[in-house]
Amino acid sequence: MNEFCLEISSANKSFPGVKALDQATFQLRKASIHALLGENGAGKSTLIKIITGVHKQDSGKLIINGKEETLNNPNDATKFGISVVHQERNLIRRFSVGENLMLNNMPKTALGLIDYNEIAIQSKKWLKILDLDIDPNTLVSDLTVAKMQLCEIAKALSLKAKILLLDEPTSSLSPQESKILFSLLKKIVREEGVSIVFVSHKLEEVFNICDDVTVLRDGQNACTSEDIKNLDRQKLVRLMIGRDEQIVKSTRKNQNTKDTILALKNVKTELGHKNINLELNRSEIIGLYGLVGAGRTELMKCLIGQDKITDGEVIINGKKVTINSPKSALEKFKIGYISEDRKKEGLILIHNVLDNTSITVWSQIKKAIGFVSDGMISKKVDPYISQLEVKTPSNYQLISNLSGGNQQKISVAKWLAAGTDILIIDEPTVGIDIKTKAYLHELIIKLADDGTSIILISSDMPEMISLADKIIVMNNFQMNGIVENNHDYDSVSSKIMEYIHT
Amino acid sequence: MAALFKKDWFGLLIVVIVSGLAIAVLKPAFLSPFNLYVLMVSISYMLIIALAQMIIIAIGQMNLSVGAIGGLVAISFSGLMEVQQVSVPVAVLIGLIIGMLCGFLNGYITVRSGISAFIITLATLYIFKGINLGITEAEPFYNIPETVKNFGNAKIGNTPIPFLIIIPIIITFLMWIFMNRTETGRHMLAYGNSVQSAELIGISSSKVVITAHVISGFLAAIAGMLVVCRLQLGTPNIGDSWLLPSFAAPVIGGAILAGGKVDVIATSLGVLIVAIISQALVIFKIDPFFVQIFLGVMILLAVFVNRYREYKQEARRKIFSSE
Repeated sequence: MNEFCLEISSANKSFPGVKALDQATFQLRKASIHALLGENGAGKSTLIKIITGVHKQDSGKLIINGKEETLNNPNDATKFGISVVHQERNLIRRFSVGENLMLNNMPKTALGLIDYNEIAIQSKKWLKILDLDIDPNTLVSDLTVAKMQLCEIAKALSLKAKILLLDEPTSSLSPQESKILFSLLKKIVREEGVSIVFVSHKLEEVFNICDDVTVLRDGQNACTSEDIKNLDRQKLVRLMIGRDEQIVKSTRKNQNTKDTILALKNVKTELGHKNINLELNRSEIIGLYGLVGAGRTELMKCLIGQDKITDGEVIINGKKVTINSPKSALEKFKIGYISEDRKKEGLILIHNVLDNTSITVWSQIKKAIGFVSDGMISKKVDPYISQLEVKTPSNYQLISNLSGGNQQKISVAKWLAAGTDILIIDEPTVGIDIKTKAYLHELIIKLADDGTSIILISSDMPEMISLADKIIVMNNFQMNGIVENNHDYDSVSSKIMEYIHT
Repeated sequence: MAALFKKDWFGLLIVVIVSGLAIAVLKPAFLSPFNLYVLMVSISYMLIIALAQMIIIAIGQMNLSVGAIGGLVAISFSGLMEVQQVSVPVAVLIGLIIGMLCGFLNGYITVRSGISAFIITLATLYIFKGINLGITEAEPFYNIPETVKNFGNAKIGNTPIPFLIIIPIIITFLMWIFMNRTETGRHMLAYGNSVQSAELIGISSSKVVITAHVISGFLAAIAGMLVVCRLQLGTPNIGDSWLLPSFAAPVIGGAILAGGKVDVIATSLGVLIVAIISQALVIFKIDPFFVQIFLGVMILLAVFVNRYREYKQEARRKIFSSE
């Protein structure tokens, strides 16, 4: 008999411009907890979407209980007992807990009307399996986030789920609540024979509850169904971030200026950062490294005034300043932010190239009455569009029709046009092919050489080591240490790893 | 008691009672049999119109064509009886079928095209209205059978209660059962709450959306025919003024236009409040312009109250979760 209840073998999946999965393999043993790990863009979510019937693999097999199956939509997955507990909660908030659990199989009275007493009785059964002491008549909107999470699991169980996918289940739970969740997960694995796929960026959780580990990197298996006992933290981190990639030897020209342009002193933020100290010189590239959830992007959003800095000093060009909004960050202090999520935050997909590139400069070039003509805009932004070699048939092409790499170039061009002194670049090469990646790397170096100071956020270790002048390692919204980067991969990466774990 | 306070309709009930009493004390004429009769007649079809819109709000959409469907059914109903000499029950049946067909068309196009119902029903509004004007050539049908006229004028015994109101009362009751006690009704609310969640649970979007629109068309048809009974003629402009009031009552009743939250009782009380206030302003001989202003203020108030309650609930939950 096959010991796997779910198997994916050599699955490939491509999206325009990206190969999301490349011969990926995944094997879930019955009644086990299996960690699925990888950095952003490694292909985890694509794999999950294949398992839950949202996407179909281009090639490769999906085997459920020993038989090859095809899932056309999420409903098909549910029929095979595959249920996913999403980060976004999928409960109907204005319904009671009981009704939510029984929603697609409501007990009825002789007249065909819903029998709410029976709903309470039947749903109690599922709540009891999870030791949940909730009155089934409570409205979901009255529950705490942790309890909602548990109700979602109860709902999945009520759908007779035998395979449960948990996507970052603890991201909004307190440590105490997470502990309760974990003991329940172990219980349903033991007593109900459920198999769990556990996706998390918190490695301590993985070591705490998982039996097997699969790590994806760039859509490929960095390891497949490895027994957790054979791994330690260090090995796991190394598998996740990889070290196969070639390091671009930096060819920086003038990185030794001692002209401090930005300094943060003992900064605290409303998002929970503490004791943040950093100095950024002209023409310098500072890297912020850390695993996802370390608070890097959040820190930068506080710096540009989107969230509040509650304590400490921000010093720009020697003067203590307060930045109230991204608008004043750009206009007064010439700080630009290139978002990691270029589709949601960085670009307006249904506008054309010209509009997107010029969005940051309208206020600079508009005439007295606020009038801006296409000609004026073209004059200003065309040099940047051609400098970055954006491949677009014309300036009037819609952004959504460009490839990921070209979209990223537009994101950069937009800030170049704005003439920023400090550029924050967040995960610039996620989901971008190797060639464009190399080009973007050269571009970042050139920008710094030409006098722009850059704060680079990246989870890609080789990228970090090839670009940054010094690397600040963050974890849990704090700075763990600063590594002077000599671009020697082995020594620098092991130093970074030490800091991550302190 | 505490449970009562949590209900959406409880505050509205108090508003109805207090305003009713206050008006009655200031102007005893408010409780005169004639006045009560007029009040109940206007409630009877407004209630059904409000429910026709409410069920579409429940799934997070809008039906701009309620009035156009009601108008088309009204003139079909009276035209069939006058021109084709069709018997009353058959005319009623055909009227209902036309209403449901119109609703089906709205739902079907919305589901198949994936375009928002706002736009689809805006288009069908003009189509239905155009058919209406094409049939009538903008002339009313005057020859309504006596049975229909009598039904429109009848009162229950010696009371000032119009016979007409029996129909909306039955329909309100059935709608309450539908929204609260049937699987289809609950699935509609679940769909309105979150389309994504509903689909993940396996609720069929097309079934939910089409059913809601068919029911909406059915109710608009009944309202159209009730107005014919009441007016004693079928004019092509029946339904023209329904659209905004159809939203007012559910919104005053706490409905959220994004969907998933409607309440049949609160919507009915919303109709009652609008009717009482319109009536009161007439009794106090206040300029009709003020009726509009008043209605606007009512809607704002209702929305603010609901927002405030949500805010309170949110605050309460935060206290819970910090424990």
